[in-house]
Amino acid sequence: MKKSYAIKRVLYSVFVFVIVMALNFFIPRIGVADPAERYYPPQGNMTDAQYEIIKQLTREQYGFDVSTPQQFLNYVGGLFQGDLGTSFRSGSPGVMELIVDRLPWTLVLSVSTMLLGLIFGIMIGVIAAMKRGRWQDTTLLNASTIMIALPGFFIALLLSFFLGFELEIFPAYTDPNMVSDFGWNMTAILRVIENAALPVLSMMVGSIVGYAQGTRNAVIAVTNEDFILTAKAKGLRNTTIRYKHTLRNAMLPIVTSIGMSISGLIGGQVVIEQIFNWNGMGTLFLEANNMNDYPLMMGIMLLLSGFTILAILITDLIYVLLDPRVTVGDRR
Amino acid sequence: MAEQTLTLRNLKVVFPSGMGLIRAVEGVDIDIGKGESIALVGESGCGKSVTSMSIMKLIESPPAITKMDQLTFAGDDIKDYTPSQMQSVRGKMMAMIFQDAMTSLNPVMTCGKQIDEMFMRHMQLNKKAAREETVKALELVGVPEPRKRAKNFPHELSGGMRQRVLLAMAFACMPKLIIADEPTTALDVTIQAQVLSVLRDMQKKHDVSLLVVTHDLSVVANIADTVYVMYSGKIVEKASVKQLFKQPFHPYSAGLLASVPSLSDTAGHFVQIPGSVPHPMKKPTGCYFHPRCHYAKDKCKASMPPLSAHDDGRQVRCFYPLKTNGGTSNV
Repeated sequence: MKKSYAIKRVLYSVFVFVIVMALNFFIPRIGVADPAERYYPPQGNMTDAQYEIIKQLTREQYGFDVSTPQQFLNYVGGLFQGDLGTSFRSGSPGVMELIVDRLPWTLVLSVSTMLLGLIFGIMIGVIAAMKRGRWQDTTLLNASTIMIALPGFFIALLLSFFLGFELEIFPAYTDPNMVSDFGWNMTAILRVIENAALPVLSMMVGSIVGYAQGTRNAVIAVTNEDFILTAKAKGLRNTTIRYKHTLRNAMLPIVTSIGMSISGLIGGQVVIEQIFNWNGMGTLFLEANNMNDYPLMMGIMLLLSGFTILAILITDLIYVLLDPRVTVGDRR
Repeated sequence: MAEQTLTLRNLKVVFPSGMGLIRAVEGVDIDIGKGESIALVGESGCGKSVTSMSIMKLIESPPAITKMDQLTFAGDDIKDYTPSQMQSVRGKMMAMIFQDAMTSLNPVMTCGKQIDEMFMRHMQLNKKAAREETVKALELVGVPEPRKRAKNFPHELSGGMRQRVLLAMAFACMPKLIIADEPTTALDVTIQAQVLSVLRDMQKKHDVSLLVVTHDLSVVANIADTVYVMYSGKIVEKASVKQLFKQPFHPYSAGLLASVPSLSDTAGHFVQIPGSVPHPMKKPTGCYFHPRCHYAKDKCKASMPPLSAHDDGRQVRCFYPLKTNGGTSNV
């Protein structure tokens, strides 16, 4: 029954991805007779004849010279070969290459933010739940109230100013050599850590507080459940009750929130990347947007949606392993 | 009953709340002999569950304030046992069966594992040996295919099977006392009968003392030797089952018995005790039951009657016990 649930979830995800893929293809084509006009809007000092020529070149270069269904087939076929199209940038680099260049740098930030946030967040949350109503708990409550009011970019600016410019502990601006001189040696890796410190720190604060508050609430909710009373009546030790009975159940809502944040891993940091001049996916998307680089935008969008769908799928499958009740509806 | 399993004297439990003190239990004495089956009966909110949980010291304190003069269990004075000392008494020496097996079992752990824990904790068995014992325990309470059922999660079993899992868990270490808090309330009637008979058989066979907390008089008639009737935090009557069902002495006990619908009722409507249970913060003066009592006189409004013993061994908290007034028909 678990297998059939997994197969169902995978098929459903594929179905959603196909729809997203189609939308991604058709949206730039909505409302214009000729997609070349959207890809290449008329410039002020251009004669009609010149613009016609440019449009013709655009059509040929981007494959608009065939019928729309044929274009869609070409597009889907390209996707299967890992071809996301060609960017407008000079040198016509492939969208895929651009993304592959930038993605690891974004992942450095987002994955370390998430892991650190999860580890510290869950630890703090469990402590706050155990010390309910005492100073550990009230501190967390106050911190999360403040964090909800403070946007991430504000914390980033504060950290960049104090730790970066004033105290000069960490670079306030990413060293351009970090990317160009990167290699798998100690110096280069240390340089990445040093440069990533501030952006990770500024995103981590909010994420720690978020996970901590979620964990605290979940743990307290589970503590009030009947089966915890049963566990106490069985004479189990406090540590057994806490880890085997309480935490396992409290993890369920946390897994869901992890799934939600995985989808933000590759695109959710446009502002932070700008503040610290970090060349990642967020910056790439901003560049694409400013340059009307449709193929690049489409490529990034498709990647983001695909990643989100994948993250939700993985969350659902992990959830089944943690919560045996999930498959119940599926069996009938 | 020469050998006492449990002696509880003058239990008081108070819950402080923002608006005042909630006196949930006010001076309750309970005696349970070896192999004896006791029922604690009363309406919701009368303090019967709090009493039973206090015996296991499962009432969180703070917020609650629990006081007692004596708590002797199986010859040991456990009144001042620390929480960690209690941990090795609970489950091993006294076990509890809860009302709703669906919520009382951990939903993400197999039923077997939850019983295994008892043997691993109290008998220091390893996982494999514990599972063998679990299978035996499930078999004893009448679970078919116990080895297979042990691998099921709680939601995969029926209500009756789940309740049997709780029974198996409670009897796992063959404790001296089992406290069953509304053990059959969440089940439908036919399953109730099955579970009760398993509970009674197990209790008789292994000579375990039983304290059943319930509001269901049919459960009481089925399973108990002695009945404690509780009202608003106090014991109002203690009698053997036969005595109580034949002739209740306290007007409240009489009211409870009269409100059981029977096929021979000619009135055509349910008999009920007029009024409702007093609010725990606004208990009346005198006898707590007097505002609802048919026979209340001025004396009842002025002072609380003591729990006085009668010739036949029963105890009643009433100035005018019903034996002089005749049957229950006019309540």
